[in-house]
Amino acid sequence: MRKLIVISSGILLLALAFVWWMNSRQPQPVELIPTLTNQPEYCLTCHADLPEISASHPVATFGCVSCHGGERLALNADLAHSTMRGGKNPSDLTVVETSCGGGNCHSGNEAENRDHIQRVMTSIQSTYAGAISSIRYTFGAQKDLAAHFGVNAVTDEHTQTGITSLNAFDAAADANPMMQKFGENCLTCHINAVPREGEAFARQTGCAACHSTEKHKLTTAIPYSQCNACHNRGNYDLRTMTFVERTDHPTSRLQSYYQPIAQFTRCEYTLECIDCHTRSEGMGNGDIHANKKDIQYIQCKTCHGTPTELPLTKTLTDPNDVAFTLAFLNPVVNLKLGDTILVTEKGESLWNTRVLSDGTYAMTGKATKQYFTFRPVMGSKCTQTGEDQSSAYCHTCHAVER
Amino acid sequence: MTDVSRRDFLKLARDGFLYLSGALMLGGVMRFLDFDPNPAPQTIFELGPAANYPLGTKTPLTEIPALLIHADQGFIATSLTCTHLGCTVKNNADGFACACHGSHFDVNGKVTHGPAVQPLKKLSIEITKDDDLILYTE
Repeated sequence: MRKLIVISSGILLLALAFVWWMNSRQPQPVELIPTLTNQPEYCLTCHADLPEISASHPVATFGCVSCHGGERLALNADLAHSTMRGGKNPSDLTVVETSCGGGNCHSGNEAENRDHIQRVMTSIQSTYAGAISSIRYTFGAQKDLAAHFGVNAVTDEHTQTGITSLNAFDAAADANPMMQKFGENCLTCHINAVPREGEAFARQTGCAACHSTEKHKLTTAIPYSQCNACHNRGNYDLRTMTFVERTDHPTSRLQSYYQPIAQFTRCEYTLECIDCHTRSEGMGNGDIHANKKDIQYIQCKTCHGTPTELPLTKTLTDPNDVAFTLAFLNPVVNLKLGDTILVTEKGESLWNTRVLSDGTYAMTGKATKQYFTFRPVMGSKCTQTGEDQSSAYCHTCHAVER
Repeated sequence: MTDVSRRDFLKLARDGFLYLSGALMLGGVMRFLDFDPNPAPQTIFELGPAANYPLGTKTPLTEIPALLIHADQGFIATSLTCTHLGCTVKNNADGFACACHGSHFDVNGKVTHGPAVQPLKKLSIEITKDDDLILYTE
C-alpha cells in the first residue's frame, strides 16, 4: 500500500512539473479593460504588436472585441477567433452594422452625420446598380436603363430619387449566358466583393475597402492609389464579358488614369480624388441612385465658378458645422469659426478650401497636405458660357498632354 | 549529534516526498480556483496623503483616469473619461478636449461641443482620519 502511495505521489509530482513546464511556455495573459465596455479581454496577449487603428478608435477605449467580436476571455487562438465578425475585417458589409453601427457610432441619425452605414449600403459603390442595369439593358434583359437590381437588395423609404428599392441581382440565375459571365467576371469592383488577385487590386471589403490603406489602420486621408484598386485598373470587354486588366506600367500620376482617350487638367491628376469629390459622392447620400452620374456632381466650376459667377462660399458660424468634424478627423487645416470656405451646389462643405483676402482660393490636400492656390474663372480670359462648364468643355483649353 | 538510522531517514524522505506532492497539488488546485479571468474593474483608489496635493494644484491621475483639483472649497475630482464613447479627455486652458471625436467640455466638465451630450462625471473624494485621500469612481 505504502509503495502505491509513493508511486502515485511521484507520478503526481511529474505531472505537476509537466504542467508547470507547459504553462511556462504559454504567453502570460495581458488583460485590457476598455473604458467603453468595462469588460476584460485578453486579445493583447497575442496582438500587442498591432498599431493603434486610428486616433478615433484607441484600443484603451474600444478594446478589440467591440469591433472584431471574438471570445474576449479565451487564450486559445482558435477559440478566441471562433466568433470574430468578418474574419480580419469587421467592416465587411455583411457584418458592419454589428461591428461599426450603433447610434453613437456609424449608424446614427442623419442630422448628426452618423448615418455612414445607411449611406454606404445604398450607395453606388455598394449596389453597383448602374453597371448591372447597363449590362442587362445591353443584353436585352431589361427594356430601359432604370435601376432594378443591386448586388444586394436594398430599400429606401424616404427616397429623393424615386427609387425605393433594388432587388438582389443573381447573375447565375439569369438565362442569358452573357449575364452569367458578367456575374462571374465583372462584379469585382463593388465594395462588397472580394477583389481580383494581384497587388494592383489589393484592398479589403466594406468600409476598409477605402479607409484602410495599411494593416490595421483606418484613415480619412485616402490617397488616389487606394481609389485605383478599383478605378483605373482596366476595362470591361463586352464582347467576351471579361475584365481586361491593363498591361501597361504607368510611371507617372497622369498615366495612372486608364481611360486612353480621356483628357485631364493638371488639377485632376495633381490633386487626390478626395480633394474634390465629396463624402456624399463617395459614400452615398442615403438615397438609392441609378448610376454613378446621378450621385457624382462635382465639376470644375464647383471651385472655379464661371465667367459670370463666382463659386459658392460660406462663412462658418456654427461650431457644430460638419466641416469642423471633417477637419477634426483629418487635421490638415486649422479650421476656425469665421473662416470662409467653398461649398458645392448641394451645400456640402469643401472644408479643405479657403477664400483668401485677395479673392483667390486655397486648397490643402487631404492626403498630401500640399497647399494649392487657384483663381476664379470670373475676370479671366475664359469665354465659356455658364452652361458649358462640364470638364469636357474645360479640357478644350486646359487639358494636359499625355 | 544524534545518529539517524537508515530506516528513519528513508521514512523521513518518503513522508517529505508525500507532503511536498500533496502541498503542490493543493497549491495548484487553489491557484486554479482563485484565478478570476473576469475581474470587476477597480472602483476605489487610495491616493495617499492629502498633503501630496497642495492647494491650487491640478493633478492628473492617469490610472483612473481623473483630474484631482485642490481648490479653495476642497478636493474636486473630475473623471477624464469622455461621456461619448469613453476616450480619455485632455485638460487644457479652456476645459477638456477629447482627441477621439472632438467633444469639448468647459472647466466644470459641462459639454460645450459634441458629440458628447453628458457632462464629465464628478467623482467622490473621501478624506480619512489620517488625512489620506480615497477616490471612488462609483
